[in-house]
Amino acid sequence: MTTSLKKIVTAISTSVALLGAGHAAADIQIGIAGPMTGPVAQYGDMQFSGARMAIQQINANGGVMGEKLVAVEYDDVCDPKQAVTVANRLVNDGVQYVIGHLCSSSTQPASDIYEDEGILMITPASTSPEITERGYELVFRTIGLDSMQGPVAGDYIASQNPKRVAVVHDKQQYGEGIATAVRDTLKDKGVEIAMFEGITAGDKDFSSLVTKLKQADVDYVYFGGYHPELGLILRQARQADLDAKFMGPEGVGNKDINTIAGEASEGLLVTLPPSFDQKAENKSLVKAFEDKGEDPSGPFVLTSYAAVQLVAQGIEAADSKDPFDVAAALRSGSFETPIGNVQYDKAGDMKSFEFVVYEWHSDGSKTPVN
Amino acid sequence: MQDLLYFSQQLINGLTIGSAYALIAIGYTMVYGIIGMINFAHGEIYMIGAYTALIAITGLTALGLAWLPLILIVALLCAMIVSSSMGWAVERVAYRPVRGRHRLIPLISAIGMSIFLQNYVHLAQGSRNIGFPALIEGGFNFSADGAFEMSLSYMQITIFVTTLVCMTALSLFISRSRTGRACRAVSQDLGMASLLGIDTNRIISATFIIGASLAAVAGLLLGMYYGSIDPLFGFIAGLKAFTAAVLGGIGSIPGAMLGGLILGVSESMTSGYLSGEYKDVVSFGLLILILLFKPTGLLGKPEVEKI
Repeated sequence: MTTSLKKIVTAISTSVALLGAGHAAADIQIGIAGPMTGPVAQYGDMQFSGARMAIQQINANGGVMGEKLVAVEYDDVCDPKQAVTVANRLVNDGVQYVIGHLCSSSTQPASDIYEDEGILMITPASTSPEITERGYELVFRTIGLDSMQGPVAGDYIASQNPKRVAVVHDKQQYGEGIATAVRDTLKDKGVEIAMFEGITAGDKDFSSLVTKLKQADVDYVYFGGYHPELGLILRQARQADLDAKFMGPEGVGNKDINTIAGEASEGLLVTLPPSFDQKAENKSLVKAFEDKGEDPSGPFVLTSYAAVQLVAQGIEAADSKDPFDVAAALRSGSFETPIGNVQYDKAGDMKSFEFVVYEWHSDGSKTPVN
Repeated sequence: MQDLLYFSQQLINGLTIGSAYALIAIGYTMVYGIIGMINFAHGEIYMIGAYTALIAITGLTALGLAWLPLILIVALLCAMIVSSSMGWAVERVAYRPVRGRHRLIPLISAIGMSIFLQNYVHLAQGSRNIGFPALIEGGFNFSADGAFEMSLSYMQITIFVTTLVCMTALSLFISRSRTGRACRAVSQDLGMASLLGIDTNRIISATFIIGASLAAVAGLLLGMYYGSIDPLFGFIAGLKAFTAAVLGGIGSIPGAMLGGLILGVSESMTSGYLSGEYKDVVSFGLLILILLFKPTGLLGKPEVEKI
């Protein structure tokens, strides 16, 4: 008698709760925040295409706890100021889960708002260590850290026995962070750093820098930043006959660098997350992307896909839609995703994530370097 | 010897970029000289020139044209025509209706125009960096016994020579031609010039057209020299050229040339000997110093208050 009464009471209260929440509560909104426009929009394309595919496939398989996922998309232009505006809009729209942002300098200020407002955030692309250093409960990522990527690049350069190395960065959070990590690794290995210098993002004239590199007689140049600047540096270096090998982080590894630098992009070294689209277990997923006419090979496509999946799996594991419960479930569980098995540490970083060194070619393809 | 070569190389880099700044600065300085307003949309006119040139080059190459000088000349003409009609239209739409009002009104109108043009190109051409084909390649190399090799590329020579030709032509035009004389008269006293039968509206339009065509020349040259363009790149270039114009004395044409060269050289020397991070600090610091100690700029005439 008592149990059935309880059941009835629960049933009534649940239906009342559902009625009260209205129509929108029947869906789970997933915010996707990243650059749709602006100089790094091609990375945003990767992010949006990966996340959309995940949402589509999860819904096709019955959704999460019987509810459909709905994508809500926001453009932050990779600008810290706009990222804050976007974060506030997300709060107003009542979104509880965010896939994003992309650029570290956007993710950092936006994550303050998410943490305060109880919104769970998973960034598929921001690699700055500072994002997860602040003890936030609701901030996660599906990508490695600069502090992992920097040493991989530094170790590779050191292993080539260079005479002198120059480290250049764009003075932004991402670029300078990673460049510092590379410099420190090289210093530890006893490699001579001829130069450590910043440029201005958005600048077009690098002739003075190239002249300086030539004068310093370096054989390796590491650039921390994005492709619009490195593309021009490569091109102007080639015109000035600078004979040095260039290397950059995943922020330079996309086909747009070929349109800017042309032939000069041949032989550029890039640290990238491993090509998840090449893994045998992801074959059917890759095919799904190709059927849609999208390219799954970008570094952030499958990390975004995995981020959506983690939100879905987290909700199911927690058996709750409260972001704090989901965060706790993500920290304690172990999840299978296209980017491999994911386990989180206390900070919200993946316990293991590797970066691989690739050689970039002027036709936009890449080959792994051993 | 080694150090001398390095110094000369940085000097060449600075002069190249400086002469391009000078070309853009002409637009600021002439407009200021004649109607006393700062045309903040001028950087965008330069950017549109670069886009037009790129579209023309791509189109001509797609048509199978291979003779380089012809491609360059056609691209240059297209860029100049589109930019100067744009410059003319901007003046008609945004400045003429507010001319003669409080100084702030045309200034705000100009900033609005700049934002409008930037976003228009954003929408029309996309926001990504677009690669500009390097049509003029190669150059001379000078090397002493040391490892450092100084290079002077054909592209850099093209920029110097074109700037020189444009500047000489402009000076001749201003000092010899009838319209040039009218320009000088209007800049001395707009009201009086109009009383003497000069069509001041026509002269003001001509100023915008001349400034815009020179900016288009700079757009094509710098597009090729740098290697990529984006809708925002006119803004920074405009700011630098404006600095150059103020440095040399706003309103003075030789001043714009001098200011451009000084700015370019000081930028390249700062990145060459100090650090690239201080480049903009030094160029804008220079501007502040000039404004503090010689507010009319290096070659500007002291402004006498008209009674």
